[in-house]
This record gives sequence, structure tokens and C-alpha cells, in this order.
Amino acid sequence: MSKRRTEEELKAELVAAFPELEGKVRVARERRVWVEVELASFRKIFERAVKELGFSILCIITGLDEGENLGFIYHIADQGGTMLNIHTLAPKADPSIRTISDIFPAGHIYERELIDLFGAKVSGLAPGNRYPLPDGWPEGQYPLRKDFNPAVLDAGGEGA
Amino acid sequence: MKLSERLVNWARIKSPWAIHFNTGSCNACDIEIVAAITPRFDLERFGIQVKGAPRHADLLLCSGPVTRQIETRLKRIHDQMAEPKFVAAVGSCACTGGVFRGCYNVKGGIDQAIPVSIYIPGCPVRPEAIIDGVAKMLKTLEESQKGKK
Repeated sequence: MSKRRTEEELKAELVAAFPELEGKVRVARERRVWVEVELASFRKIFERAVKELGFSILCIITGLDEGENLGFIYHIADQGGTMLNIHTLAPKADPSIRTISDIFPAGHIYERELIDLFGAKVSGLAPGNRYPLPDGWPEGQYPLRKDFNPAVLDAGGEGA
Repeated sequence: MKLSERLVNWARIKSPWAIHFNTGSCNACDIEIVAAITPRFDLERFGIQVKGAPRHADLLLCSGPVTRQIETRLKRIHDQMAEPKFVAAVGSCACTGGVFRGCYNVKGGIDQAIPVSIYIPGCPVRPEAIIDGVAKMLKTLEESQKGKK
């Protein structure tokens, strides 16, 4: 097997392809690389990482409530075990992101979780059921946002 | 009480059939329920058999807290059982909601959805505790029957 690409080499590759990432790539430790990207340029960076840098495994998508913004971390890994964590922000007022289920078909399940639990708006998602909240869940309530109050659930009555 | 009713009651006390239903358990109590029906612990010496359909069962063994999604299903399963029916809340979560109490997706203990006859606490419950709980319930039934003769 050829020599493993080091974290610094990966960092250089990313910055060479996208000069705006200068200073935004952080090597947390061995095999763990973080990168902060703007929402507008997320798609092209993500696509390049998957298709050209060999990050062919989608581990999971993390959702975060970061005050004014919703944060999304896409954890992708390559065959060598290096994990690239791409962090992007969308304003809470309009938390619209584009689906990645055209690249990773199984990713739709994580995106449906973002919709149900954080209230993200994911465009381009194939039609399907909601997931994972129960039927009859009140509209506009997102349980993993910090301002969520569980009292609204029992006020709604049966099954709510 | 008519002889036929007494006979049915005797049969029910001597051989209650059970159905196991997971209402949102972490699976630990389910494993213990399965252990309780194995020959090692031998629940069948009380005539207890786990059946595949709620329509055949007298005793509903519920494990886990009631999630909001399963609540209507639990009520439906309970409605399908023939009267008189008994419900056992197996495990701490089934008794009170346990560590899941107050979660956005959890309603609480089994008694938040359907009436419960016996509470068997434990995390997870030991098979001995399940057997003890069910045997105590049968004993109370037997005593209540004696008064009716």
C-alpha cells in the first residue's frame, strides 16, 4: 500500500484548490481534519472532497444550534481512516441547505433528521415520510433547538 | 359464581398466557424476559406461556417507557386482549419512565397509557424478579377469587 496522505498534505491540497480556505483548515489531531466553509461554497468543496480527494464514506451529519445560526457538520472519511469534518452555518431565519443525497443516497436519512429535529430546510430531497419524530408532532417545534420547551407537547393533548 | 366461570378462573390462575411487548425499551429488559421463559428459570411451571398474539393472552408484559409514537399501538394491542386482562410493567422505565422521563419523545411509564396491574422495578429486571412479580399477581388473584365463592 502506498504511503498515507498526511494531514498537512490534505490541508495543502484543500487550500490549493480553494484559496478562500486559507486559515480555515485545522488539524485537530492525527487523521482528524476540520474545515470551516461558507454555505455558498459548501457544495463545491464537499463535491471535490468526495469525488477527487477520496472521501468516499459519509459517516454522519451533525446538527447544531449555534445561537443565531444552525450549524451543520458533515463528517466524511477516506479509506485510510482520515476524517474530514466540514462545518458550515446557515442563519436560523432561513436555514436552507442543499441536499447531498444525490452524492450519498443514504444521506437522506440524516437530512430528514435535520428537518425534524432542527427545522432545517433541505432542498432537492426526494419525497418521503418524515423521520424520526412521532405522528401528530406539533408543527414548528424542533426538539433539539435550545429554545425548545417540552411543555408544548402535553398542552397539545392526545398523541401530541 | 357459576361452575363454568369458576373453571375458567381456575384455568386462568393456573395457566395465564402472556404476550411480550416492547414499548420503547433499550432491549435489556426484553433479554431478561426472554431469559425468564427459558428452562433455566422455567416460567412454565406456573403455566405461563408466551404467546404470539395478544388475542390469546391474559397478561401483557410491557418493557420500556411509552414513546409518543408507540402509545396508540400499545392501546390497540391492549384493546385486542380478551377481558379480564392484566398488565405488568417490567423494568424501571416501564414503571416510571426511568432515565427517559421528560424526553421529548417519551410519554412516561406504562400507566400513562394503559392501566397497570403490577410494577416490577429493576434496571434491567432480573428474571427472578419477573417470576416473583407474576407469582405475586397470581396469588392476589387467587385470594380475590376465594372471596367470591
